[in-house]
Amino acid sequence: MIPSSPFLCVITDEAFCPITLAEEALKGGAAMIQLRHKTASGSQLYSWAVEIRKRCRQYNALCIINDRVDIALACDADGVHLGQDDLPAAAARKLLGNKRIIGISASCAEEALQAEKDGADYIGFGHIYPTISKQKEHAPLGPDNLQKSVESISLPVIAIGGINAENAPLLISRGASAVAVISAVSRAKEPSKAAYELLCAIKTGRQ
Amino acid sequence: MQHNNFKVTPLPRICLISNGEADADQGKVLLAQLNLLPETLPCMVQIREKRLEARELFNLAERARAIKLPAGSLLLCNDRLDIALAAGLDGVHLPENACPADKLRTFAPNLIFGCSIHSLEALHIAERSGADYLLFGPVFDTPSKRRYGASQGLHKLGEICMATSLPVYALGGIIPDNAALCMEEGAYGAAGLSVFQDTARLVETLEQFYSIICQ
Repeated sequence: MIPSSPFLCVITDEAFCPITLAEEALKGGAAMIQLRHKTASGSQLYSWAVEIRKRCRQYNALCIINDRVDIALACDADGVHLGQDDLPAAAARKLLGNKRIIGISASCAEEALQAEKDGADYIGFGHIYPTISKQKEHAPLGPDNLQKSVESISLPVIAIGGINAENAPLLISRGASAVAVISAVSRAKEPSKAAYELLCAIKTGRQ
Repeated sequence: MQHNNFKVTPLPRICLISNGEADADQGKVLLAQLNLLPETLPCMVQIREKRLEARELFNLAERARAIKLPAGSLLLCNDRLDIALAAGLDGVHLPENACPADKLRTFAPNLIFGCSIHSLEALHIAERSGADYLLFGPVFDTPSKRRYGASQGLHKLGEICMATSLPVYALGGIIPDNAALCMEEGAYGAAGLSVFQDTARLVETLEQFYSIICQ
C-alpha cells in the first residue's frame, strides 16, 4: 500500500552501493526505495533487490524495482517503476497482478492521465527542478505543472527532479504525495541524516 | 501458441540469434530472417537486442511473434523474462550473469529456459536451476564473441556435452563446414549470429546445416 500521508522515496544512485544507500535512506525514514540501475546484469540486480527488499520489510517500507518486472517478481518486490521507454503499464499489470504497485514516469498532464488509464498506482512526475542525476530532454516543469497534474488525476503523484529539503515543502503543499530523490541523499555527507531532514521538510509541507 | 510443444516435440537443432543491431535497423534483419524460414526447417530464434530499451524490445518481440514460423519453431527473448511473457514468446534465454532461472521459473512454468554456459561450473548451476537447454561457446574464434575471451575449442565442447544430459547448442564460429565436428563432440545443435546474417543465403545456409546435423 502506498502511504496515505506525504512520504519520501529514495532512488538508488549508480555511483554507490545500492544496498548501503537503501539502508541509510531507510534509517532516515524513507518509506519507498526504488532500485534503479540501468547497466547492471540481471544477476547483480536480483541479488541487490533481494537484500533491499529484506531491509524494506524490516522498516515497513516499499521496495520498488525500476524497469525490470521480471526482477520484481523474482525478488517479491512490492512493485515496479516504469519509464515511458519501459514495458507498457498494461503489459506489466498482466504480469504483476493487482497486488503489486506500478508507478509510471510522466512529464506532462497527458502522460499522467494516460498512466492512470493504463492502471498505474502512482505517477512519478518530473523533473520539477534542474537535476544532475539524469540527462533531460525538456525544461524543468516547476511546481505549477506539478499541481496541474495532481489536479488532473486521482492517483498519488510523486514529485521528482532537483528536490531538496528547501523546496520539498512547497511541492507537498502543491499536492504531491511524496518526493523522490537520488542525489539529495546519495551525494550527502550523511545520507541517513539527509533523508531524515527531507522527511522533516515533507512533514512541514503538509496542509 | 507453441507453449509446451518442446515437451512433446524435440527442440529445433538450429538456434538463430539476432544480430544485436535492431536499434540501427529497426529489427529489419530479424524480421526478414523470420519471414524467410523454410516451412520444413524449424528454428529456435533468440531475440538478443541489448541496446534496445524495454519498450522497443517489447514492440519488436510482438512483431516477431506475429510472424508465422515453421512448425516446431521457438521464439525466445534474451535475458528478459518479463518481455518474453508480455509478448507471448515461447521462452527466455539467460546469459550467465542473468537473474537465476529457478527464481524466474515459478512465474513462467510453461516457458522454455535456456542458459548460456562457459564452464563446467556454470553447467552445474544451470542444471540445478532447471535449464531446458544449454548454449556453450565460443567453440571457434568469431569476431562477435572475441571480447568474451579466447575460443574454448571442440575438446571443451565435448567435455560439457559428456557432463550433461541436457541438449547443448554449440555457439561461436559454427558454420555448415564445421558443424559435424560439433555433433561428433555430442552437441545437440548449432547456434549462430553472423552465419545467418546474409538473408540472401539464409535458406541455403539452413539447408546445409540441417543436412549435416540431422543426417
